Amino acid sequence: MTLSLFDQFSSPSFLGIPMILMALALPWLLIPTPTSRWLSNRVVSLQGWFIARFTNQLFLPLNVGGHKWAPLLASLMMFLLTLNMLGLMPYIFTPTTQLSLNLGLAVPLWLATVLIGMRNQPTHALGHFLPEGTPTALIPILIIMQTISLFIRPLALGVRLTANLTAGHLLIHLISSAVFVLMPMMPVVAILTAVLLLLLTMLEVAVAMIQAYVFILLLSLYLQENV
Amino acid sequence: MGGHDTGSHQFTGIAKYFNSYTITGRRNCVLATYATIASLILFFKLKPKKQAAVTEK
Repeated sequence: MTLSLFDQFSSPSFLGIPMILMALALPWLLIPTPTSRWLSNRVVSLQGWFIARFTNQLFLPLNVGGHKWAPLLASLMMFLLTLNMLGLMPYIFTPTTQLSLNLGLAVPLWLATVLIGMRNQPTHALGHFLPEGTPTALIPILIIMQTISLFIRPLALGVRLTANLTAGHLLIHLISSAVFVLMPMMPVVAILTAVLLLLLTMLEVAVAMIQAYVFILLLSLYLQENV
Repeated sequence: MGGHDTGSHQFTGIAKYFNSYTITGRRNCVLATYATIASLILFFKLKPKKQAAVTEK
């Protein structure tokens, strides 16, 4: 049976049990939890410092009403970051390459921000559809465009994460296959390709962190408009 | 959060309610656009379809 390049992204199952559940549970098993001791160890202290600093930076521009989202967004950031980074290791499945998972995260959270805005401050929420100072002739067109862009947001959020991670994994797969194929025939070219693979892997580590951050940042921006 | 109404805008007439400077003006423009689109859709949905006239030979 010939394997296609996208077979690595098919959701694994064993005896009818979806193994993605194990992959999703992995971050929560690996991330250390603070103990009841007065002084934590170095790893837990570092993790606590990182989470506190990240949450502080993220929620700086938000009103006090939006601060109740801090536990949700901070934990989602750790979750996505861990999933993305773990997926870079060989033979580990990356759940964030699944569009269903990413849309399942993006759509409810985006919808929550929209409903919060419509419920708490409907005038401001509707006013966002028309930028201030728009010329009169452009008003209807701009309102339609802003409405379309509002509904595109959850799709863009989900697809951005999926596409970036899928493309990165695919490139790593292709270039590593090229290294193996070229090694017996053209060793020098294979070594250069291996150097390229090393650089690409470093890029993918950065992309894994950045894409998790961008997902959360955009959600906080959507919340900022509505809270 | 959101735009603040600046007191320097002194609108008269219909511009008092529909403008792109005050938050209420922007809200009213948005609602008017949505109402126009909804009424156009309703108009074309409820419009009776023309039947071809039967001619007697």
